[in-house]
Amino acid sequence: MRTVLAPLAVFAVLFGALPAGLSAAGSGYLFRLADVTLIFCILALSMQLITGVAGLLTLGHAAFYGIGAYTAAILSTRVGLDAGLTIPASGLVSALFGVLIALPTMRLVSIYFAVATLGLGEMIYVTLLNWVSFTRGPLGIGDIPPLRPFGFDLSSPLGTYFLVAALAALALVVVHRLAHSYYGNALRALREDDQCAEAMGLPVVRLKIEVFAIATFLAGIAGALWAHTTGYVNPADFRFAESILILAMVVVGGLGSIPGAIVGAALLILLPEALRAIGEVRILAVGLIMFLCILFLPKGLFGEVAALDLVRRQFGAAWGGSPAVRPLGWR
Amino acid sequence: MFDRFDIFFVQQLINGFSVGLVYALVAIGFTLIFGVLNVVNFAHGEIYMIGAYAGLLAIVFLAPPWVALLLLVLAAGIVSGVALERAAFKPFRRFRDEASLKSKAMRESTLLSSLAVSIVVRESVEKIFGADMQAIPRAYADAMQEPISLGELAVASGQIAILAAAILMFAALQWILTRTDIGLSIRAVAANPLGAQYVGVNVDRTVIATFAIGSGMGAVAGILIGLYQGTIFPAMGFAPGVKAFVAMVMGGLNSIPGAVICAIVLGLAEAVATEFFGQGWADLVAYVFLVLTLVFFPTGLFGAGRERV
Amino acid sequence: MMTTRRSLLAAAAPAPVAARVAVAQPRRILIGYQLPLTGEFSQYGERFRNSALMALDAFNRSGRLPVPVEIVFEDTRSDPREAVAVARKFVDNREIVAVLGDFSSSASIQAGRVYAEVGMPQLSQTASHPDFVKISPWQFRNITTQAYEGPRVAEWMRENGVRRVAVVAIQNDWGQSVVSNFAEAFRSGGGEVVATQFFNPGNREFRAILTEIARARPDAIYIGMFYEDGAAFLQQRRQLNIRVPVYATSSLYEPKLVELAGAGAEGVFLSTTFMATSPEPHVRAYVEEYRRRFGSEPNMFSAQAFDAVNILLEAIVRAWPEATRARVREELARTRDFPGVTGVTTFDPETREPAKTLARMRIENGQFVLVR
Repeated sequence: MRTVLAPLAVFAVLFGALPAGLSAAGSGYLFRLADVTLIFCILALSMQLITGVAGLLTLGHAAFYGIGAYTAAILSTRVGLDAGLTIPASGLVSALFGVLIALPTMRLVSIYFAVATLGLGEMIYVTLLNWVSFTRGPLGIGDIPPLRPFGFDLSSPLGTYFLVAALAALALVVVHRLAHSYYGNALRALREDDQCAEAMGLPVVRLKIEVFAIATFLAGIAGALWAHTTGYVNPADFRFAESILILAMVVVGGLGSIPGAIVGAALLILLPEALRAIGEVRILAVGLIMFLCILFLPKGLFGEVAALDLVRRQFGAAWGGSPAVRPLGWR
Repeated sequence: MFDRFDIFFVQQLINGFSVGLVYALVAIGFTLIFGVLNVVNFAHGEIYMIGAYAGLLAIVFLAPPWVALLLLVLAAGIVSGVALERAAFKPFRRFRDEASLKSKAMRESTLLSSLAVSIVVRESVEKIFGADMQAIPRAYADAMQEPISLGELAVASGQIAILAAAILMFAALQWILTRTDIGLSIRAVAANPLGAQYVGVNVDRTVIATFAIGSGMGAVAGILIGLYQGTIFPAMGFAPGVKAFVAMVMGGLNSIPGAVICAIVLGLAEAVATEFFGQGWADLVAYVFLVLTLVFFPTGLFGAGRERV
Repeated sequence: MMTTRRSLLAAAAPAPVAARVAVAQPRRILIGYQLPLTGEFSQYGERFRNSALMALDAFNRSGRLPVPVEIVFEDTRSDPREAVAVARKFVDNREIVAVLGDFSSSASIQAGRVYAEVGMPQLSQTASHPDFVKISPWQFRNITTQAYEGPRVAEWMRENGVRRVAVVAIQNDWGQSVVSNFAEAFRSGGGEVVATQFFNPGNREFRAILTEIARARPDAIYIGMFYEDGAAFLQQRRQLNIRVPVYATSSLYEPKLVELAGAGAEGVFLSTTFMATSPEPHVRAYVEEYRRRFGSEPNMFSAQAFDAVNILLEAIVRAWPEATRARVREELARTRDFPGVTGVTTFDPETREPAKTLARMRIENGQFVLVR
């Protein structure tokens, strides 16, 4: 029963209550916040897949978001492609780069992989910034047409919202299905111990590359949505700080948890806006809240591990032993 | 092509070497902390910045002699390092069960807690002093910025000071690590925290000492480099921090001599790349080096060969 | 095409409503100001706000309008995400008749697209991106672009006998326009640009660039960067013993430059629209009041914001009592010979580009001195 109700509630909110409320408020500001939050939900979900589920800490996610945005910008302004084509194309180009980058780096372990993605992310930023003849460098690309896929005019706030929400919902379904399947369990095995997983016969490198491709595809789509809804892209929007923001969403929400990614994204996008009243100290406040979140909820608001603990406590006898008295021993 | 190898090229190598030393100064403290805790301390750049501001305050209000200035900054660095450890790292050491020790979420939470602390610190400094570059009293700035001509070549007095500081810090650190009890326990914890605990090393104390030493060095680097470049501002720690991070990884994450050598190589490569591609693309050099190193030498150029899973 | 016309109609629909509100004599008039008050550009935002408050207080004291004018300040960190959200917020507020800001060109453009879509006059004090005023007829700026400044500096150099020049600029939209406009003018005058270097934002290590430039043996160096980068550049040039004269963009006109760069700043040539040492009474009054109220020296950026606010207030006075967004835009486009502290300003009604007078300055003994 629960498996039907939860998604139904999410979809009801996403496509019923939220747009109805926003339309009633008639505020372009709130629509814009909803769009940005949903775009970052896609980004957080895609990173959740890499970092939370498959356990590969990536510090360069914003670069794929940027590749997606630039693909959409260049295809729609220079080639004149329709938004209905630029969005999937952005995903594909981004995934292509994801695979290209994954091939040499996937055999790196833990922190080395993280550092490699950081380096690659900065490389992509520096390239976007300095390859002036192709990306227009720091001038950015402007006049990106709003969302009018296949002749449907979705450039109104409500139309844009519905398209962004539909794609976010799609990303949610994809990530949810992937994470809660045998495939997702294989990924979790990688996260916990990839040597062990390999010994058990899982194709570790192939799985990592696949999951990286899927996640970067989603990040590319988020980038295309950003480009079309904002109308102007600039390399400075896809810097290291953006990767850290996405990572913070995933960690605050809880690694491995899908509701966590969504709540984390909503929190870190909406909090700075909600705190406008306190003006100049609001970024300080965001930093503090982030810190307190991590301090008191180190496994995230909806951490998978924390959730497991909850289940264990409920069915204590069946799972055997409480975690507190577990003896130290071999790793 | 070969007409480039003239006196200007030699000057360029000197420039690169001094940039490399700047990266090395930052990388020393960074690597020490990483080597022990096996987590990235994102707030190291902020310690560096605090060092510069503490030094600047001392200069403005006390105008101390140089030795006293450096000691004051060292003290400020130690205090802020210990405070950072208390706030961002210690809370996560309370989880000692196996699941938490292995959990990636736990490791990433210290990474993010240090990041959060760095945001709070940077924003607070921005609120107190403003986001712009601070003016430095001329007497101190001139001492570090005086040009010294060697024929057609030129170096600044600050470059010599930074070279001296780098040698001194490196030597001091080697002495601490190999000749003192606390150094011994630092190396023990770095090698195997659980094992060190079994043989009676006080892990908590060791970690605090590591932070004190690493942060003290970071703070001194901050004031020296801030005075030499004349650039003291809240975000000053970011750029050298990233390059020091790259140098640390190239050096193998836990090898301090490796990090220093790689920092200097990085500085030289950037300066030479500016000759051929322009500075905009020269920034790419560090990252290309990083990725090439990682792909071909997955544990770094000077890594102990210890695989980290 | 159909869709464009339809959306234009949709945009025009709320206009009569707004007109009725104006005729019904509002109790106050609101202006939005989006600017960075936190983050790495907050020192600029702070100056903008100081100047805006000064201009606003003086205006409300003068009683030129029967109702008070208020400014709503919103922090954007000059971050595109927040700039667009704030733009939406301002547009939603029907009381706001015009918007000032943002600081960086990219944030201004991203917000500008919202204002263009809805129809809100936007006047930026600093956005110098060539595309900014091309977004729509709703965009104005109170900063001379490099298309104006570059050729004048090139001419100045020619007069001083400079034949070979090296150009160094920050790798952002403004830096790109510094190089392209200057290089074109300088070459067409028969000069030679012997080296061009862009540096990535955040980089303050210029020794490699300086050494590379020195090899080309230029007669002069032209630098396009903010004063903080400029201070580091000048100071490192002195350390490397490169004794080539330096010409700079007006962005280096900042009293702190001399403090930061010390002896390195000696002899720099630069052109500027604002002179704190100007003998003109209204400039002196501005500088003195700024010092008194905020305890710091005004620079070119603060002066530009001061003028931008005053230009907008003048436009609102002319539009009164029908102070609607559309009317304020029309009146902004009619700005002519506005006597600001950054010189006499006229907006071109077609391109909406400002024209100002540029003064030539030189740093001598730690002071900015007018040349001739």
